[in-house]
Amino acid sequence: MIKPPEDQQKISVLLVDDHPMVQDGLSSCLSYYPDIDVIGSAEDGKDALQKALTLKPDVVLMDISMPNMNGIDATEIITEQLTDTKVLIFSMLDSVEFVNNAIQAGAAGYILKDTTSEDVYYAIKTVASGKTHFSSSITKALIENPVRLEREKLTTREQVILSYIAQGHSSKEVAKILCISFRTVEAHRRNIKTKLNIDTFAGLVRYAVNQGLIES
Amino acid sequence: MNLPLKLLYIAIFQVILTSVMVFFFFSSEYRELSRQSLQSVENFLLEQKKRELKNYTALAVSSVEHMFSGEETINQQTQDDVVSLLNNLLYNGDDGYFYVYRNDGVNIAHPKEPFRVGKNWWDLESDKGEKIVQILLKKAKDGGGFHRYKWSKPSTDTKVDKMGYSVFLDKWQWMLGTGVYLDDVNQQVSKLQQEIDQHISRTQQIVLSVALGSIFILFVVGLIFTLKQKQRSDIKINELGQRIISLQEEERRHISRELHDGIVQMLVSIKYSIEATGIFLSQLNQEKPKSQLAAEKNLSIAIQEIRRISHHLHPRILDELGLSAAMDALASEFSELTGIKIQVITPKLKRLLPDNISTTLYRVVQESLTNIQKHAKASNVVIDLAVHQAWLTLTICDDGKGFDTNANINQENVDECGIGLRNLAERIEYHSGIFKVTSTDKGTKVTAKIPKSCFANHFNQAITEKNND
Repeated sequence: MIKPPEDQQKISVLLVDDHPMVQDGLSSCLSYYPDIDVIGSAEDGKDALQKALTLKPDVVLMDISMPNMNGIDATEIITEQLTDTKVLIFSMLDSVEFVNNAIQAGAAGYILKDTTSEDVYYAIKTVASGKTHFSSSITKALIENPVRLEREKLTTREQVILSYIAQGHSSKEVAKILCISFRTVEAHRRNIKTKLNIDTFAGLVRYAVNQGLIES
Repeated sequence: MNLPLKLLYIAIFQVILTSVMVFFFFSSEYRELSRQSLQSVENFLLEQKKRELKNYTALAVSSVEHMFSGEETINQQTQDDVVSLLNNLLYNGDDGYFYVYRNDGVNIAHPKEPFRVGKNWWDLESDKGEKIVQILLKKAKDGGGFHRYKWSKPSTDTKVDKMGYSVFLDKWQWMLGTGVYLDDVNQQVSKLQQEIDQHISRTQQIVLSVALGSIFILFVVGLIFTLKQKQRSDIKINELGQRIISLQEEERRHISRELHDGIVQMLVSIKYSIEATGIFLSQLNQEKPKSQLAAEKNLSIAIQEIRRISHHLHPRILDELGLSAAMDALASEFSELTGIKIQVITPKLKRLLPDNISTTLYRVVQESLTNIQKHAKASNVVIDLAVHQAWLTLTICDDGKGFDTNANINQENVDECGIGLRNLAERIEYHSGIFKVTSTDKGTKVTAKIPKSCFANHFNQAITEKNND
């Protein structure tokens, strides 16, 4: 393997973990790998969003259990707005449901915190190259419990948008509220309609009320 | 016994005491008073009679007196005239008459009892043994006097009380007497007495009924009060129970979080520090010491163990992904453990429920699955969570043997079905929900329903709050 010049090859990483000790431990491990550049850290989902949007890292190493906003919801918003940024979930939680939700939210990989730092390094390299990566135990679990990729279920972001739409906000207004583009909102709207198999605006409102998403 | 109930008993006791005192004191006082007034009425009546008698006698004396004038001794003719005059001198119908006795006790005139005339009645005795004629004579000689004795009344021919009055005619040594029968006085008095008695007993009845009424009212008020209080304390107990449960859940969640986010994360950071040491050593071309390998391994075990405990206390997935995902995870764990096939049907939306409701429903699923594993001998389980009309309905159906044929459990008889289900029923009830277990030999169905009003708009509110902070 020929090593390309370092400055081109360096992968910028944002560490997101609400526990500073984990951040420290991990960054001290990663500091031994010359092609990894930890450019920042965040302590919760909201912080992660802000820092990702300003730093635009190649890879976000994202914990799930965090105050304010959990890692999966943050992942969904980051991947929605930064198409070039890959999110690698780095969590203690190993339920298939978390993996499924993370994949649905746009995560490129899912590794457990009990994996070795070498594996972490390898996973970062893999997702940065555009592939997916899962911890071996996760892969095993996914094979044992065939992934029911919950295509018909709404993501948190979609639910938020549905809730705004059902309350009578136009796509334009929703875009303004959530600070995203009109086209993104429209794309979400199409996805929601497909998932729920509902064509009309009135149908969306009725559904949201019937399910208790909003009050009638 | 609580204070209000004590007060009630004191009040009832007070009423009884007052009534009894009023009852007896009033009765005796009233009786005494009436006795006195009756006495005075009787005296008044007798006084009236006496005056009457004096007047009548004066009248009789004055009508016969002129016959005495002049004559010094008794002339038979005059005596006959006097007797016939007296015989006609009647008053009060037949009952008022005048009689005459000589000083020696011989009767001279008696209009109503002619057999007495001419005979000596000196020793005539009353029922009480009084020598009536002698007494009358003595009183007459003393200047005229009254005497009460029993004598037969002409109009009724019965012996009744008589008030006699006699005067002495010195000239002829005669005693002229008359009398009134007192039975009418007695009648009047006893009639009054009767009326008073009636009045007393009526008053007693009123006192009694007022007392009983008051006691009854106090009793009813007390009963209502006690029932109300019981209701209130039941509600309080229920609230306390719910509070204990929610505190317990809160505490479990807290400890679970402390373990998972605190201790485990620290251990993880230690793990990476140890690994960093390993990398450092390998860069110096040194091998990891065995003790470091052992530390890494044991650290991993410790992390796993704490995670297991944390998960057992409160599954993290419930907070992060909501009830649907948590049920999915629980179901696959259960399937793996028992080999029972399980199907989970969940809504397309997630995190619609507030934490306490989703935790309660999660515990329902957990408890139901535990029961199925222990008793049901089922091979298939279906968990269905859906919002339909006004309710969020969770059902857990199995195809096992059921725990009791045709048994139906609801909030009323859930007591018989173990503390687990009873607690769940109470918790569901607390959220204004409905909890039901039906079981046949073809399987058991646990149903928990929560009204939509308990969670509608929860998700919406949660995101609005998040966007605002």
